[in-house]
Amino acid sequence: MKFILNYIRKDTWSPYIAGILLGIVVILTVVLAKTLLGASGAFENLAAYIGKVISPSNTYFNYVMPAGITWGVLLLVGVFFGGMFGAATSKTLKWGKKDATNSDVQWKRVFGPQTWKRWVLGFLGAIVLEYGAGIAGGCTSGLLISGGSLLVPAAFLFMGGMFASGIITALIVYRKRY
Amino acid sequence: MNFVIAGILGLGFGFSLNKAGLTKYHRIANQFRFKDMMVMKFIMTALAVAMIGLYALRGLGMITFPTAPATYVVGNLVGGLIFGVGMSLVGY
Repeated sequence: MKFILNYIRKDTWSPYIAGILLGIVVILTVVLAKTLLGASGAFENLAAYIGKVISPSNTYFNYVMPAGITWGVLLLVGVFFGGMFGAATSKTLKWGKKDATNSDVQWKRVFGPQTWKRWVLGFLGAIVLEYGAGIAGGCTSGLLISGGSLLVPAAFLFMGGMFASGIITALIVYRKRY
Repeated sequence: MNFVIAGILGLGFGFSLNKAGLTKYHRIANQFRFKDMMVMKFIMTALAVAMIGLYALRGLGMITFPTAPATYVVGNLVGGLIFGVGMSLVGY
């Protein structure tokens, strides 16, 4: 029992143990809620509120991703607090700390120490990421893990594309240090 | 009731992501540099466990699969290519 508690307090688990936990969550999602996990769709459901104001006859926000507090939005709320809980158990929760917004050593080495840079890059990068997820029909969780576990071909096409461009982007960002 | 389940499942999802270190920039960036294979190990383990569990439960007739994500080859590929740029850049 003490061994388990000590393991929960560890900052980083073995990826295999954490992966098994996520696999069980995916199975429970299908059993209990008869749907699939997915993070990016919920952001689109929320963005649809703004999208409908700007363009009321927009096909995408009216039919593909209608506005609303959907199942996925509630899931995202859970993810937020689950992540915080995970950090709290290992005492790495940075809520309210001085370097809370930018504490990643590697990020500072590559892009510089300024916090505003991280906010700007995070915002712009997330636009690119969410746009891609919208085209592909899901993100890493919704398409790659959930779709992949049902052996949907789309998941593996998506993974190929993701790694191809991800490697090239990392090459451009890191250049000689790759 | 369904929304309560969503919240609880989200807790488990977020917890596993945090413990695997996917909430950190350097983990995801280093995966694309192949310096740190944690992300790949994590995703593949989750995939294998979920796959075995779901197909076993369907084989036993206990569940039916929900609507799977649609496959449209060009869209999935182009979407993946754009997604990868963002993921590698921000590392979220």
